[in-house]
Amino acid sequence: MESIEIKRIIKIAMKTGRLMLQNGGETYRVEDTVKRMSESRGLKEVSVFVIPTGIIFSADLGIETFTGLERVNPEGIDLESIDRSNNFARQFTSTDMSLDEAEKRLSEIENPPKFSKLIRVLGSGFGGGFFVLMFGGSAIEFLLAYIASSMTIYITDTIDSKHLNFFIRNIIGGFAAALLSLLFVKAASVLMISASIEKVIVGPLMTLVPGVSLTNGIRDLISGELLAGSAKIMEALFIAIALAFGVGVILQFFMA
Amino acid sequence: MNILYQGIISFFSVVGFSILFNLPRKLIVAASISGMVGWMVYVLLQNQGTNFIIPAFAGSITVGLIGELFAVIKRHPATLFTIPGIIPFVPGYGIYYTMLYIVEKNFEKAMTTGAESLFIAISIACGIVLATSFVRIIRPFVEKIFKVN
Repeated sequence: MESIEIKRIIKIAMKTGRLMLQNGGETYRVEDTVKRMSESRGLKEVSVFVIPTGIIFSADLGIETFTGLERVNPEGIDLESIDRSNNFARQFTSTDMSLDEAEKRLSEIENPPKFSKLIRVLGSGFGGGFFVLMFGGSAIEFLLAYIASSMTIYITDTIDSKHLNFFIRNIIGGFAAALLSLLFVKAASVLMISASIEKVIVGPLMTLVPGVSLTNGIRDLISGELLAGSAKIMEALFIAIALAFGVGVILQFFMA
Repeated sequence: MNILYQGIISFFSVVGFSILFNLPRKLIVAASISGMVGWMVYVLLQNQGTNFIIPAFAGSITVGLIGELFAVIKRHPATLFTIPGIIPFVPGYGIYYTMLYIVEKNFEKAMTTGAESLFIAISIACGIVLATSFVRIIRPFVEKIFKVN
């Protein structure tokens, strides 16, 4: 095999891995995928090392060693993208897909279909809204939490499109969640409708809390991926601190 | 009756989180069913007055098992069905109260609530891992039952 061809294979495998990792895929899945993809095309002694912010790769062919490094910036959770790259990897390993075609398909799955902005904002609000009902909220608290969640998601999506740093994003997110909930509850109390701020505020916060990073991080730790697990838990911890900061500012001012 | 009501609202809550995580459209109902059944188990155990870890643990095992089952039947990674489903167990209230107590300088209570939230998170992860390992063992039988090739 030509050395240039091998480099292309490695590039394809690592790009697939990067797509999974930056959209919230688990460490073991990324390692497994990159390994299988490169082994299916004849590379030997493949080692893949994955942490949430990068992929390191090394493989042998004959007496030559090939290495690769891919820097990854986590971009939140996108299950459609994980599904597509997983599907692509499966086809790449089980069929004789040519490298040209593989590169073409990979560039296609780089931009997976997303829900339209309206559906995303209106639909995701239900996550926070119904969550309030699950913890014994009233119908009016559901409505307030729903609107606050939708608006919080709209705000964080707008920030994401500007590629701000994740800490600032979550401070603003927590701030918006607390401010909106507080305003809505106050507005409701003006209209003589009673709603409890403690119930309402958890709705929009649930759309921001790092639940997936936390559980995936602990999952990595349990399965022995100590470095990747610690990194994910640190990420979750700092998101929680940022949220606490944003919410805390509001609480300090208005509840003291 | 209460369980049924909780089941229905948790279904819609998981639909919302599925949209937030951009889950492929045709899988949303499956993911929401696994989240719903998991939440019903959670409520059922909580009504029995068990310790605060057990409901989240049992709930996430349920979500994990149903998610893995859907993964085998529908030929998609199990994560797609479990991630939206476990979000309701994530201690959102715990995180909120932890920060509230810190703001109020009530560090003792913040410590307790924070530790409780951490243990709930650990139990969710353990539940999912347990379900995954279990399904890996029984996978051949499941594939035979549902005739997946």
